[in-house]
Order: sequence, then structure tokens, then C-alpha cells
Amino acid sequence: MKYRYYALGFTFLLVLAGFINIFFGKGLKLGVDFGGGTLIRVMFKNPVAVSAVRQELSAVGLGNSVIQETGKAGHEFQIRTMQVIKSLDAQQELEAHQKLGDRVIEALKGDDGKTELAQGFKDLNNIDLSNLTALLEKGFSQEAGKIAHEIIAARINIGIFTNYEELRQAGIKPDVISNLKEKTFLGKLTVISRETVGPQAGADLRKKATLAVIWSLVGMLGYIAFRFKLAYGVSAIFTLTQDVLITLSIYSFTNREINLPIIAAFLTIVGFSINDTIVIFDRVRENQKIMRKESLENIMNSSLNMCLGRTIITTGTVFLTVLALFLFGGDVINDFAFCMLIGSIEGVYSTVYLSCPVVLFWQKIFPKTKGFRK
Amino acid sequence: MKKGLRWKIILTLAVLAGCIVISYPIQKKIKLGLDLKGGIHLRMQVITADAANIETDQEILRLQELFKKNNISYTSMTKESPSKFTIQGTNPDQEGKLKDQLDQYLRDWDYSLIGTSISVSLKPLALQALKDQSVEQSVETIRNRIDQFGVAEPIIQRQGREWIIVELPGVDNPEHVQDLIKTVAILEWKLVKAGPAQDEATLLKDFGGKVPDDMEVVKGDPKRRAEGYYLVNKVAAVTGKDLRMVRRSVDEWNNPAVAFQLKPDGARRFEQVTGENIGKPLAIILDKKVQSAPNINARISDSGIIQGNFTIEAADDLVIILKAGSLPASIKTLENRTIGPSLGADSIRAGLLAGLIAILSVMTFMIVYYKMSGVNAIVALILNIILLFGALSYFRATLTLPGIAGIILGIGMAVDANVLIFERIREERALNKSILNSISLGFSRAFSAIFDSNLTTVISAVFLFQFGTGPIKGYAITLIISLAANLFTAVFVSHWIFDATHTKSTQKLSI
Repeated sequence: MKYRYYALGFTFLLVLAGFINIFFGKGLKLGVDFGGGTLIRVMFKNPVAVSAVRQELSAVGLGNSVIQETGKAGHEFQIRTMQVIKSLDAQQELEAHQKLGDRVIEALKGDDGKTELAQGFKDLNNIDLSNLTALLEKGFSQEAGKIAHEIIAARINIGIFTNYEELRQAGIKPDVISNLKEKTFLGKLTVISRETVGPQAGADLRKKATLAVIWSLVGMLGYIAFRFKLAYGVSAIFTLTQDVLITLSIYSFTNREINLPIIAAFLTIVGFSINDTIVIFDRVRENQKIMRKESLENIMNSSLNMCLGRTIITTGTVFLTVLALFLFGGDVINDFAFCMLIGSIEGVYSTVYLSCPVVLFWQKIFPKTKGFRK
Repeated sequence: MKKGLRWKIILTLAVLAGCIVISYPIQKKIKLGLDLKGGIHLRMQVITADAANIETDQEILRLQELFKKNNISYTSMTKESPSKFTIQGTNPDQEGKLKDQLDQYLRDWDYSLIGTSISVSLKPLALQALKDQSVEQSVETIRNRIDQFGVAEPIIQRQGREWIIVELPGVDNPEHVQDLIKTVAILEWKLVKAGPAQDEATLLKDFGGKVPDDMEVVKGDPKRRAEGYYLVNKVAAVTGKDLRMVRRSVDEWNNPAVAFQLKPDGARRFEQVTGENIGKPLAIILDKKVQSAPNINARISDSGIIQGNFTIEAADDLVIILKAGSLPASIKTLENRTIGPSLGADSIRAGLLAGLIAILSVMTFMIVYYKMSGVNAIVALILNIILLFGALSYFRATLTLPGIAGIILGIGMAVDANVLIFERIREERALNKSILNSISLGFSRAFSAIFDSNLTTVISAVFLFQFGTGPIKGYAITLIISLAANLFTAVFVSHWIFDATHTKSTQKLSI
């Protein structure tokens, strides 16, 4: 409690730094969900360097796209087109983004497979189930469907076929493989996922996210004010807002984008942080009955110290699980895990150093009776 | 055995058994979200102005016939907007008669007289009803097409006023499906007056370079090898609405084609047109693109084929679209997300790995820090997870990647409750209370804190569910179920396990 002024000062600085960064510096990077645009994930048959990818894209004027390596090193990439397309017609904007996506894919494919396609070969790395079945029907009639299924399953498992050997390793019979070699080729890349969000949809998602955050905060305030005194409710809101702002600030310093899962992460952090805060408030309430003679400040200090062990441990376990998610959970969920990582630490900080001081300040400004509302 | 203990054990075992039975076998029972299974998610907007346009056009035609019948004079009727048109040049002497007619026949329309012009507009309520209906009909038509196409567990839903959400799991050819959905599919047969020509100028050579009032220019569809510009009659002899049956068939060279049969009324018109125009070409037009324009060889009454460079797949698509009927309005895409199955498989693998590591690390910590009581917490944790999967299977809730994250978070929070209780028990022990008393106090004192803290996270999860999209909804659900299960296991089950393993004579409390 002694450090409360330092704590508040530090918080203020952090938030200020974040704001400056957001408005004047790099800014908050809005992901595809909110900012609109296209996000494409591709997997290459053979390893490719990021610079090579950027070169291919620059050749068609898309060099400023954000390219990230994900997953299998050198094979998987995530590309976000950063073209700002301002157009009156929302539909045109979406179509323009889709065309950008097409251009990206074509640029990366280059001339791959053009000769083979002209000769009537099919790309085994991109063919769909029904076409593959049709292809196999001539040689294997009844079994065609089952075999096609197995091949597609193998492809899903491996990601992309680098050579026909992989088919044999997946248990496909040699005569099937030789049949395929005559009719197919292995394309250079495959599109793993593709997401295009038009401006209308982006605006809608932004609105929904904001509503979710506002209502959650309102819900929390109401609940805490109901269970404890108003002063505590206000403190909680203050703390929560700090949580969001601090985490947002720190997040903005990284290169990561803000998408819907990040909003979910914020709300979860808010929920967790409130947990800790409530535990402390609960203890304060209890101690107020026991330690009637002490000042509120001392009661709070003792309560904090009593709960410190517990707070750190529970945050620790959550931190452990989130760490596991961050390190092992794969790329798609990684931004979310990172946000949760920052958030859980930050949540403890805010609970311990901010929640009680705020109540004290409030009470200094609005002195009221000591009782608690049950 | 203590009296109350027996029913507690039985209840717990019953719940456990129930959950295991419901979620077995797990691959089939858990519904996977689009981001884990792969598939396509589309958010589309119905351009309701189209429907209004059609309605206004038809109203103009109806009114024109009405005026003709009643000898009411006017110079022109022009459409101003999708829901408004103006009648110009009326005769002031006929005002009374005019008003009578309009009052009688314009049920859904408002009109106002300004000099010799009348402005007619669709009543707001009628317009809204029309828009709603076009959206509903679009949803139905799309559903129809997708049913025929054959997708397992599709989601086709109206969202808000004019949006439609389509989610098709497991679809591996997204472009194909999108075409299937978005094709408006207005099929028309129109007599060809000139063409095919390289460009419009050549086309209109014999018409003085201008398009006559009762004709229009349409382009050929390059996919059907019907290139070039055609000049056709504006009024269609026969349209898709006259179709009685369509199926895939073959043309005279055994290439795939679409065979059709007309309803009696349409057949009559078809017979008339073909009979009067033998030797001339008749264009078959789909969504303003000429598919083919064969010459009329003989008078045909009720059946024929649509041919022209169709693959089997393309022919099947056309059959699906025609069978389902045309869309009442055009559809535009607002959001388009395609997830390949390998990304989903990767995500599942990663999620399981992270989950396993999370569980193991938490378990290790609990045993190290709380010793034997830690085992108690671990049992509760395992039970928690089984309950979770049971609930997911029972409610047919969808598991998404954020959902898996939610489960992992839930693991961290589940232990939270145990920690609260154990710390409390330790405190009570430090005050030298008896073992049984400490346990009992630990649980009761910690309960309010546990309840409050779980509840607040549930509050934010509820709002996430309300406002979130698919994957986020999945997250919210798993989090809420986790917390609910947690309340059961940490408070109820842990408690009776403690009670069962510690009696009055227990000397040591390993915590």
C-alpha cells in the first residue's frame, strides 16, 4: 500500500506511452476481422525464404503486404494485403480485396504447372475429392472413392505433397501411385485458408466487439456494486479499464494484429482480474468485522498481504496453462495466448496495486458510512 | 461410512458415468467448428432493391393495361427509383375517373397528383414486407440448392434485416459452391434479331446504330462458347418460371446437356414462338448471358435441351439451380472465409498438445505444493474435463479453436477454486483448529469468493456469446461450461473426497 503513488504513476506512464504509440506511432493494427482486407495462408511444397515471397509479390505491386512465416518453417506463410481500397461501393471494395487475394496467389504460383495443366494433368496438391474420385474411376472403378478419400486424408495430414514417395508412406498402393503419376503433377503451393472481410462486415464486427466490451464492464460494475459498496464498484471499473488500457498499450508495441479472439482475450482478462479483486474485497469485508478498530488503510494492507499468496498462486496456474497454449498451441491461437499472457500478469498487478488505493481515494473524496451492503 | 457421504458418491459416479456414455465415441460426438473442420463461411447481403425494382416494373405494366382498358390517356410512365414511378401527361378532364381507378386498384401504393403528373410510390409497410419476403425467399432458395448439392450439417440463416449467413463445413471446393449460391438464375428464351457480332457497332448496323425500344443487347457467355453480342427481343417467350422439369442429359454428340420440360401454359407459348419463327435462332439466356442460340428447326411444344460446352459438373449445377428456382434478388458477399481442412487438423493437434502440457504442469504443481491434497485437486480436475466433454456432447455445442483455448483456460481456473479452499484450510490449521474443522471452514469460507469470481468470468463470457461470431461463441460456451463444471467438482466433489479420506481419528492433514 505504501507504493500506491508509485503504482499509479507507473500505470499512468504506461497508458500514456501506449496512447502515444497508438495515435502517433505504429498504431493499433486492426486485423482482417475489423479492418477489412484479405488474409491468406499458403503452404509451399519446397522451402521458400520470406524475401523470395516478398519479391514475387512486389513484382505485382503487392510488396507492402505483411508476410509472416508460420507453422512449418520455410513452408508456411501468412500474407495480409495492406492495400487501402477506398471505394464508395462496399461490394466493390470486397471484390477488390478478393481480386487482390487472387493476384497474390497467382503471383506466388507463377508459371508453376502451366505446361502440365495445358497437357491435361491435374494438380494433386489442390484437387478436390469429387474430381480426384472421377480421375481414379477409370483405373479403379469401385474403389476409386475410398482411395481418393485416403489420399485426401494423407494430404490433410502432411499439408502438401512434396513427392510421390509420401503417398507410398501413407499406405497408398503402388499401382495407384503409378496411375496418378501419369495423370497428375504436384503443384508448388496450396492455399490453406483464405479470409476476406468487406468493409460492411468489418464495421459490423467492430460494433459487436465494442458492445460486448461495454456491456461486460457494465455487468461487472453492477454486480460488484451489488455485492459490495459503490466505492468498490467504481474501483473495480477503474481497475478494469486500466487492465484493458494497459494490455492494449503493451500489445500495440508488438507487431500483432487485433482480431475478434483478442477482444475475447481482453474480456477474459477482465473477468480474471475481477476474480482477484473480489477475493481481496471479500477479505477486506471480513476483516472489517474483525478488526473494527483499525483504519481502512491498515485493514486493506493486511487483507492484501493475507491474500497475496493465494493471488500469486492462482495467477501462476493460469499463467502456466496460458504459457502452454502460447508455446504449443500453434499459430492461429498464438496472438490470443500472447494477449492472455500479458493480461494475467497485468491483472495481478492491477489488483494488488490499484484496486484498494482507488477505494481509499474515493472514500477521501466522498466520505461515507463504513458499513457494507450485503 | 458417514450417512451423507453415500449419496454424494453415488451422485458423482452417476454424473461421471453419464458423461462418459454421452461422449463416446468422441470423434463422432463432438461437433467441430468450421475453423477445426475446414469449410466455408459466407456472409451475404440480399440486394432487396432488386425485388422492389421487379415489383415496380410489374406494377407499371399492370397499370398500363388498366389505363388501356379504361381509355385513360397518358404520355408515359417512368420509373424514378426502385419503389417509385411517375405517370406523365394525364388529361385533366379525366381526373375523376383516374382517381377512381387508382383508388380501386392501387392497394399497396400511395399516389399524389401534381398538375398532369402522378407520383406513385410503394407504401412503406408494403415495401418492408416485400423486402422481408425477398430475404426469406432467398434463404429458402439457397437452402434448396445446398440441399441438392449435398453438404452435411449446413447452416443457412438470416441475420438482421438483409443479411444471410451460410456455413458449409467440410466443403473442399469453395469457388464452386459460391457460384452455386450466388447465381440468380433467371432463365429466359428470347428471339434473336441480330448477331452474334464482334462488337455492338457491327451488331446494330442494320438498326441505324441504335437499340430499338423493344429489343436489348446481351453478351454471350464465354464459358459456354457463345461469344459475341446478340440483339434479342426484350420480352421473353418463355422463362424459368415455366419449367416443369429439368434433368441432366446429353446432346446429339453425347456431350452433357440439360433437358427440360415446360408447363402447359409455357408449352403453348413455346409452340407459338417456335412455329412462327422456324429457321431463326432462339437465344437461351441465363442471368443476362447467352448460353446458346440454336436455330429453330421445327415447331417444338414442351421440351428441349440447353447445350453448349457443359461439363457434367456444370450441367449438374444448372439442374440444381433451376430446380431450386431463381433468387428473387441478387446477392452480394460481405465476408468470405475459407478454411482448408489441414489448417483445422493442425489446430486440433496443437490444441491437444497444449492442453496436455497444461494439465500435466498444473498437476505437477498441485502435488508439489499441496502434497496429498493436491491429488484431491487432480481428481477434481480430471472429473472436470470429463464433465466438460459430456456437456459439449449433450448440448451439441460446437468446439472451435478458441473453444479449445477456453478449455485450457478453464483448467487454470479450475485449480483456482481448489487453491482458494486449500489456502483457507491452511490458514485455519495455522490457527490450530482441528483437521475436520479446518476442512469444513476452508470450504465454507472460500465458497463465496469462488462463487463471485466464477460468476464474473461467466458474465463476460455471456456477453461474448451474445455479440461474438462462430469461433468466439464456441469460446464463450466452453468457458461457461468449464466454470459450471468447476463449481461442481471443486466445491462438491473435493469436499466429499476430503470427508471420505479424513475422519475424527486422522492425525495428519497433508496439505
